[in-house]
Amino acid sequence: MNRVAGRAGITLLLVLLLLVGFVLFLFEYVIKAEDWVVFDGSPHVYSGGNIGCGTVVDRDNILLLDMNGQRKYSSLEELRLSTVHWLGDRKGSINAPALPAYASELVGFDLLSGVYSYGKTGGVAQLTLSADVQTAALKAMGKYKGTIGVYNYKTGELLCAVTTPTYDPDNIPDLEKDKDGKYEGLYVNRFTQSSYTPGSIFKIVTLSAALETIPDIQKQKFVCRGSYKIGADEITCEDKHWTQDLKSAFKNSCNVAFAQIAEQIGGETLQKYARQFQITDSVQFDGITTVEGNFEVADTDSVNVAWGSIGQFTDQINPCTFMTFMGAIANGGRGVYPYVIDNISVDGLKTYHAKANTNDRIMSANTAKIVQKYLAFNVTENYGSENFPGLTVCAKTGTAEVGGGEKPNAMLTGYVADEEYPLAFIVAVENGGYGKSVCVPILSEVLAACKKAMDS
Amino acid sequence: MNIFLASILDAPEQYVNVFMGLLRWVAPVLVFVLLLRCIMPLMTFRREPEIWAWLRFSDDKQLPVTHWENVIGRSKNSDIVIDFPTVSRNHAVLTRYDDGSWTISDVGAKDGVRVNGKRVRIRALKPEDVICIGGVEMVLQPISAKQEQKLAQLRTKGATVFSSFFNVLLLSVFQILCAMAFLLGNGTENAVNVFLGFGGIMASQWLLLLFYICIRRTSFEVETVAFFLCTMGMAVIATIDPAETLKQLIAMILGIALFLMVGWSLRDLERAKTFRYVAAACGIGFLLITLVFGTTYYGAKNWLVIGSLSLQPSELTKVCFVFVGASAMDRIMTKRNLILFIGYSIAICGCLALMNDFGTALIFFTTFLVIAYMRSGSIGTIALALTALGFAGVVALRIAPHALQRFSSWRHIWEVPFDAGYQQTKALMCMASGGFMGLGPGRGWMKNLFAADSDVAIATVTEEWGLIMLVMIVLCIVALAVFAVRSASVGRSSFYTIGACTAASVLLVQVILNTLGTVDILPLTGVTFPFLSNGGSSMICAWGLLAFIKAADTRQNASFAVRLVKKGGLEDE
Repeated sequence: MNRVAGRAGITLLLVLLLLVGFVLFLFEYVIKAEDWVVFDGSPHVYSGGNIGCGTVVDRDNILLLDMNGQRKYSSLEELRLSTVHWLGDRKGSINAPALPAYASELVGFDLLSGVYSYGKTGGVAQLTLSADVQTAALKAMGKYKGTIGVYNYKTGELLCAVTTPTYDPDNIPDLEKDKDGKYEGLYVNRFTQSSYTPGSIFKIVTLSAALETIPDIQKQKFVCRGSYKIGADEITCEDKHWTQDLKSAFKNSCNVAFAQIAEQIGGETLQKYARQFQITDSVQFDGITTVEGNFEVADTDSVNVAWGSIGQFTDQINPCTFMTFMGAIANGGRGVYPYVIDNISVDGLKTYHAKANTNDRIMSANTAKIVQKYLAFNVTENYGSENFPGLTVCAKTGTAEVGGGEKPNAMLTGYVADEEYPLAFIVAVENGGYGKSVCVPILSEVLAACKKAMDS
Repeated sequence: MNIFLASILDAPEQYVNVFMGLLRWVAPVLVFVLLLRCIMPLMTFRREPEIWAWLRFSDDKQLPVTHWENVIGRSKNSDIVIDFPTVSRNHAVLTRYDDGSWTISDVGAKDGVRVNGKRVRIRALKPEDVICIGGVEMVLQPISAKQEQKLAQLRTKGATVFSSFFNVLLLSVFQILCAMAFLLGNGTENAVNVFLGFGGIMASQWLLLLFYICIRRTSFEVETVAFFLCTMGMAVIATIDPAETLKQLIAMILGIALFLMVGWSLRDLERAKTFRYVAAACGIGFLLITLVFGTTYYGAKNWLVIGSLSLQPSELTKVCFVFVGASAMDRIMTKRNLILFIGYSIAICGCLALMNDFGTALIFFTTFLVIAYMRSGSIGTIALALTALGFAGVVALRIAPHALQRFSSWRHIWEVPFDAGYQQTKALMCMASGGFMGLGPGRGWMKNLFAADSDVAIATVTEEWGLIMLVMIVLCIVALAVFAVRSASVGRSSFYTIGACTAASVLLVQVILNTLGTVDILPLTGVTFPFLSNGGSSMICAWGLLAFIKAADTRQNASFAVRLVKKGGLEDE
């Protein structure tokens, strides 16, 4: 019997195997459970392609969405329309990654309790967006397609980001019946996921590059006779601006003057500065990666360099990235990245709180200061300060030719210089026409709403 | 009763939430206390050496005989060592029987065994018979009936009636809480099924305990652990497929019947040896019937469908295989017996290969290894067998793309979460969502997943009852196995020891494949978790195996599968 009793130990070998394997699993569990819980398609966190728990409120605690069960959106149609691209719809048609990025904070997962929450599941995600500003911006955009973004360039809070065309998640339109392109690009959040030909707002980039590279640029005079020959080709202006200094050329948005400036800078250097200003980079925040822009003038004819320097040629910018660039100028050459999720709390406990994410310095403080001055000059001398009561707005408009016989895209970007309202903005209106006539009234309404939201 | 039920079902949501919130903490504590009370005696019972007889030599020296089966030989591993050059390493086996009689058998030594000068192969010993082994003469002197009584009094007792009663009471409280949770959470819809399921287990455990008390057996630890696992299985079925609770209950009752039957057949070693032949015939018969009349599900032909009933006869073959594999010491020491067993194993293996059931084949193979090692003690045999498995495995994988696919996603399930890794990734997501304490019974998502009450049942348990509960469940099986091993040194016969260790090994292998397969430590093989997974055949098999573990329990008054020594002689049937 001694022998058989000894051999019984083989069963202990299986016990050991089980225990080793099981401990290995427990080890994996402790380390990875949080990842497993928020993995794509995790049943307690997502329903369909969406997060299936928690609620979303705006910066003033106005309920935007209850994600439990069948997802309940705001009872106000215009609020549903103006926020759906950030919240996503029930079918997951929109790529809205901000909330899923904080799935684990939102479900309030911890090892002890899992996703259990007394009587309910999920926490509250507070967005930086203002419901009032969103609805005001949507109204201001009217029937236009495009996007508006406004953010606090001191903190990074995204106060307003509206994209059109949009739709009501409670009443999804039938895209099959859309014959006139009314719903073209309906599911795209244009603010983060589209790129536009910038037109003259790109002159801010060329201006900044010139200030950094050409020492006497502010003393130079530029003559505009309505067109400027480069080899066999010609750069044209809307008007004959005659002799002007840099500041006036910028205010007049003079293509001829900027073609001459681009010639002085050279394609290669201009491209180097565009890269330094991070004009074509992706901005990343809250799980969102904006699309990259395009600026390729290093190895091309000088006429193309000239067109590129005034935001035509193959130039493409993403509205969110360009707004961030404006924030950097407003901040004296060093900006902060935007964000849209302010905080998340579960059962009253904060599981996430956003912090300002400061960028590297992209231009000298001196250059930024001069650009600020020029942008302010544009508004006082050209666009009209009276459009922005109570606010010191500095801006630049653009009218980007898109070809194909379509009306140009109207663009407007800039910032508010007031300490109490540190807001940088961009407005892009597709096939809107002139930047000044189309975008300025829209911005006027949106900034007024922003001011009101910040005052309250 | 109806008013009480109605008041439970109509309870306002906040009360339900309070109850569920409390249950998350009460349930694991209750189960912990229960299992601690059941498992501690199994892990700590004293195994004092018992002297059953003395061997007196011609020079008046005496050697104690400490087992019922004793190998006499020159080898240091022998139970009775006679270090004399003419004695073979393993010379003879001295065996004691239930009635206190002894035999001596020759196990193939060159010189043979002589009793009173006559060479014998096997011989019942009478008082004063002179045994001669390799020229060494000795006389066996069994202890007296009085000494035997004393031995029984000194032997570690099984649990007291009160202790067993209290454990079953604790388990009943847990079962009532389970039933209440499902009734509160799901309302009237499945009230009858829930009542039947948990109430049926509760009634069964009380009846079995009552039966034990009637036949003066008091240990109920092993059974309580099994009933607890059945309860958790019922909790899984109540959440996944409440309509099946009755079916599972019936399977459990049939399982208990098999448990008692196997236990009864093991009570008498001679009877057990006869039963081996019946078991051998049944074991192979079940497989042959499946091969001829079986139905193929998910690539494996291991189902027998009779009307609305579907059986897996290969599960019952496991019990038979353990029976066939077990062997008393006098047989172990002869080679012929092992060859027969190898032949039988090959026949079983052939049937399984034709059935194309990978998981079951693996269980049988491991069982074979355990039996082969326990009988031969040869590492070499095991190494050869493992090599053979390696080759067979490679060939099987080349042939069966179904199995290969399972292996290809192993440890890579998160790369194919909507394909080959779907079942396991979803199971892990749910297990993680449950955390240590669980989401509460009926509040999981697993019901939407395939095989959530069988192959990946542990994920359902973890999601709703928490990881702590899973740890305790796995430790239950570990405890049963360790108990079987611990009992080996005081085993009455190698038949029981081999039976218990092999049965424990089958349970262990199933838990290893099921648990570690679900969580992607091993490839998923679709094996059931004993007592827990939904499946009648599996449930019956688990109880059948438990009888072998129970039969190895030699504590006084502990096991119904061990006869009591009464004042007037042996206990009746």
